[in-house]
Order: sequence, then C-alpha cells, then structure tokens
Amino acid sequence: MVRICIAVHGALNKLKLNNYYFRKILSLAATLLVISFLVFAAFEIIPGDPALSRLGTNATPERIAALRAEMGLDKPFLVRYFLWMTECIRGNFGTSYSYNVPVMSMIGEKLPITITLTILSMSITMIVSVPLGIMLAKYAHRTFDKAGFIANQTIMSVPAFFLGILFTYIFGLVLHWFKPGGYVSYKQSIIGFIGFLIVPAIAIAIPKCAMSIKLLRAAVLQEADKDYVRTAYSRGNSTMQVMYRHVLKNALIPLVTFWGMAVADVIAGSIVIEQVFNIPGLGRVLLTSISNRDYPVVEAVILLIAVVVVLMDLVTDILYRRIDPRVRGNEKG
Amino acid sequence: MLNSIRKTFRKYNNFFFNFGMIITLVFFVLAVVGCFYTPYNTTEMNVALKNSAPALAHIFGCDNYGRDIFSRVMEGIRNTFFISFFTVLIGSLMGILIGAISGYYGGKLDEILMRINDVMFAFPSVLLALVIISLFGSGTMVVTLALGIAFIPSFARIVRSEYKKQASLDYVQSAKLMGAKDIRVIFVHILSNILPVLVSSVMIGFNNAVLAEAGLSYLGIGVQPPEASLGRMLSEAQSYLFLSPWYALFPGLAIVFMVLGFSMLAEGISAAK
Repeated sequence: MVRICIAVHGALNKLKLNNYYFRKILSLAATLLVISFLVFAAFEIIPGDPALSRLGTNATPERIAALRAEMGLDKPFLVRYFLWMTECIRGNFGTSYSYNVPVMSMIGEKLPITITLTILSMSITMIVSVPLGIMLAKYAHRTFDKAGFIANQTIMSVPAFFLGILFTYIFGLVLHWFKPGGYVSYKQSIIGFIGFLIVPAIAIAIPKCAMSIKLLRAAVLQEADKDYVRTAYSRGNSTMQVMYRHVLKNALIPLVTFWGMAVADVIAGSIVIEQVFNIPGLGRVLLTSISNRDYPVVEAVILLIAVVVVLMDLVTDILYRRIDPRVRGNEKG
Repeated sequence: MLNSIRKTFRKYNNFFFNFGMIITLVFFVLAVVGCFYTPYNTTEMNVALKNSAPALAHIFGCDNYGRDIFSRVMEGIRNTFFISFFTVLIGSLMGILIGAISGYYGGKLDEILMRINDVMFAFPSVLLALVIISLFGSGTMVVTLALGIAFIPSFARIVRSEYKKQASLDYVQSAKLMGAKDIRVIFVHILSNILPVLVSSVMIGFNNAVLAEAGLSYLGIGVQPPEASLGRMLSEAQSYLFLSPWYALFPGLAIVFMVLGFSMLAEGISAAK
C-alpha cells in the first residue's frame, strides 16, 4: 500500500505534473486508501467469527456456513477488502452486527449532531482567541500579560469533560440557565438544539482557546520586531490597525495549522463530552459499538473521521496558500 | 555530582520551574505514598457517611458509598500517574527508535515510516487508543499499551526532525570519522544533544497522557472498579452533582493540578534556554 503511494508519487514527479491541487488530492486519496486498508486489516486479524457471534452458541455448522457466505466471509482477504472499499465509496458501510440495520442510516442520524458541535466549538475558539491573543501580545511582559499567561496555562490543564461537569453544576443546577440532560433533537427544534449544544461547545472550546491564545501571542510577538511593522507604524497606523491588518496575517499562519489539527481533536473530544451532557451523537454510537464489538459501525466511524482529518489537511493547505504567498512561490512539489 | 545538580537548579531557577516542581513533587509524593498508605481503606463503605460533606475526619468528604474521597483521590492519582508514566515510556522509547532511524538514515525507509506516522499523527490519540481497545478489550494493561502506541507518532515526529537537523552537523561527521559505529552515533552522540527537546516533549506528552487517561477512564475504560480512578470518580460524581458537588470537584482539581504542574515545568525549562 505504502509502496503504491510512493510509486504514484515518483511517477507524478517524472510526469512533471505540477498542478498543486491535483497532486495534493491524489496524495490525500492515497492516504485514505492506506487508512482504509489499515482499518480493514486491523478488524480482520482480531479473533472471533462475526457469523458465529451473530448466530449465538446453538448455531449449526450449515447455518454458520450459509451466513458466512451471505456476509461474504468465505472470500479471500484482499477480495473482501476490495468489495468493502467499493461499497464504502458508494456510501454503503455494510450492516450493523448488533442492530441489523444499515450502518449508514445509524450514523447518518447522528452525524448532524457531532458536526454542529464541532462547528460551534471551532467557531467559538476562533472568535474568542484572536482578539484575546492579540491583546496579550500587546501588553506583553506586563502584569496583565503575566496574569493572562498563568490563567491560560491553568485553563489549558482543565480537561474538557471536567469543564462540562462544572458547567452542568454552575449553569445547570445552580443558575438554571439550561436543563442538564435536556437534549433537544434537531428534528424537534433547531433553536432548542443549538441552544443546548452551545454549553458543551463552550466546554470543548475553552481549552482549545487557551492553546490558540498562547500560540497567537507567541506568533504576534515574533512578528512585532520585524521591519514591516515599523514601516506600518511610521505610516501613521494605529496599534489596532497594525495588529489586525498587518501582523495578524502573518501571525495566523501557525494558528491555521493548529486549528486544522484541532478539528479532529474536537471530534474526539466530543465523544467524551457527549457522555457528559447525555447527547446521542456519533460518540455514543462509537462507544456502544465498541462495547458490542459491532465492527462495521466502528470501521465506518473511524473512516468518516479519517475523511474529516484528510479534508481538514486539504483545507489547511488551501488557507495556507491564500494567507501566505511565499508558500505558493517556492513550491518543490 | 552534587555541584552539577546545584548548577542545573540554578539555571532553571525561575518562577514557572519552581512552581511546577513544587506541584509535581507533591503529586509524586502522593502517588508514591498512595502505593503503601491511604488514610482510610479505599474500598471500605460506610452507610452513615454517605455523601457527607468535607469535614476534619474526611477532608474531601465521602462518596455515594460512604468511602473516603481523599483516599480514593490518592489512589486515583497513583493509578493515573503510573499509567501516564508507562504510556510516555512506551511512546517515547518507540518514538525515539523510529524517529532516530528514519531521521538519521533518511531515504525510502524514512519516507515509508513517516507516511504511516503522519496518518497516525493526524488521528486524535484518544481515538487511536479507542480503536486499539476495541480490538483487544479494556483493562489497565491494554489502556496503557493503547495510549503508549497512540503516543508514538508525536514523539517519532519530533525526534526525526531533530535527528535530521543534527545528522549533518560537524560533531556527527567527526564522530563518524573517528570510527564510531552508527548505533553509537545515534544513541550516544546525537541523543545526548537532543535531550533538552526530548525533555520538554516528554513533559507535554505526560500531560496529554494524563488527560487522555482521565478521558478514557471517564468513559469507563481503563482502571476497573472497585479500584479508584480520577476519571471514573468524575463520572460517578455526576449522578450526585446536586447533592455533593465536592465529589466531582476534588478528582477534577487533582487532574487539573497534575497537568498544570508538568506544563509549568516544561514552561520553566524552555524559559531558561
């Protein structure tokens, strides 16, 4: 598998196909192929026969054989991988072992919940961390900055699920701002749905915010000594103008990388947060299918997250090239 | 020996380092003492003390079975501490091995290893650990191993880039000219030069391990009851949140300060440079 990727890579180099996005997408597709193979292989080597486990202990050998043929388990490994993969591309992830329904319909229902949670918490992170990071950099090495640093470091150490529990207690049980465990389905009311998800989203976002603020502060300080900043000041710009129009553009570069990676982290974090707030999202599905050994579901969820990770990689790259023309300039491939 | 220790401490004598050192030492002592002694038996139940508030006899109060929370927090700190320790040990040793070989030799091997590594690195470590746990079942050993494997890519990445930088430096060339074998160059010459980078990444790794372990044990994977773990205590405390909020507060604060101590240490070390 890996060899194929490298071979494709080499062939492309020879062809001098320099269209950046074409190459990028091809290499991402290859990465996805590797992941899918690893996922499939991993669940293949574990002991246990899915047909046997589905029929239970009093199964006759004939029935097992019949079910194995029906599930396609009698075919060689690579053939099965190929069949599975083509079905996955068409959006068919197989049938859940424990519920006997298509995996896609099981996941499809939950997907909007996790996606909304992720988008909400990423937006909060971006909106909050940029002004705060710049503010800390502006007051660098003063008391405000030092207090901010310690607060930041402390917040970074708080696990999101503990924050969730604290929020449940303070805002739910003491202040009654929201009803703990009172999840509203997006089918019932969109506003109620988002209104409930906002609290878990904040719980996920706060540690990510602290991290972003720290990164941005360091990046802004690094930029602050450069010539273009002095020039911008000398042309009569105010500090605010210099910060937001000139420095931010350069300082955002490390942050974009971090945010791109944080998306996958937020999805992983939402698995835990969904338990805290009793949200029936993708995390709940993953956890129950792990404990039920419902492998088609586990495979599908992992593949989906892999797709998200790979797509975020692409988005980060595109943003990079938009923010920083230097990346576009010296491209070696 | 004593002098060199004194010198190192003087070098790192800044607020962050000292603050982090104090917290980490307190937790280390709690973890070690927790192996031999806890004020109360951690599994002994006492119906009369059910959900009782913090008092002099039970400074953190008691849980829903009337067990002393302080003793259980101590045991939880011990478990988290050692699971994280072995996680980082597995992750960093394997990471150093993979990173060193691929960074030092480069070429095709490097490309193959790093492609696999990048794929794994992009995956959140909790998720990776969950996949491994779904394959091999839960339990303390599996969780430690799973987290350890999940932490390999991040170490391998850092170590590889350091080795790539160092491999072309003069001292490596002269060591080679003097006839040092590759193994010696890799593990004696270069390794001792990248130690500062390694130390801070180990500390960050330890923090991530603590947070990941707490998250997993909150989900009920990892240390199994009746043994106490900080994450599981939090999930149990959630049902009694209104009645006894301190049950959730103390294990949570234990996690926070454990992570804070190490991140302050890492901050202090990088500030001294």
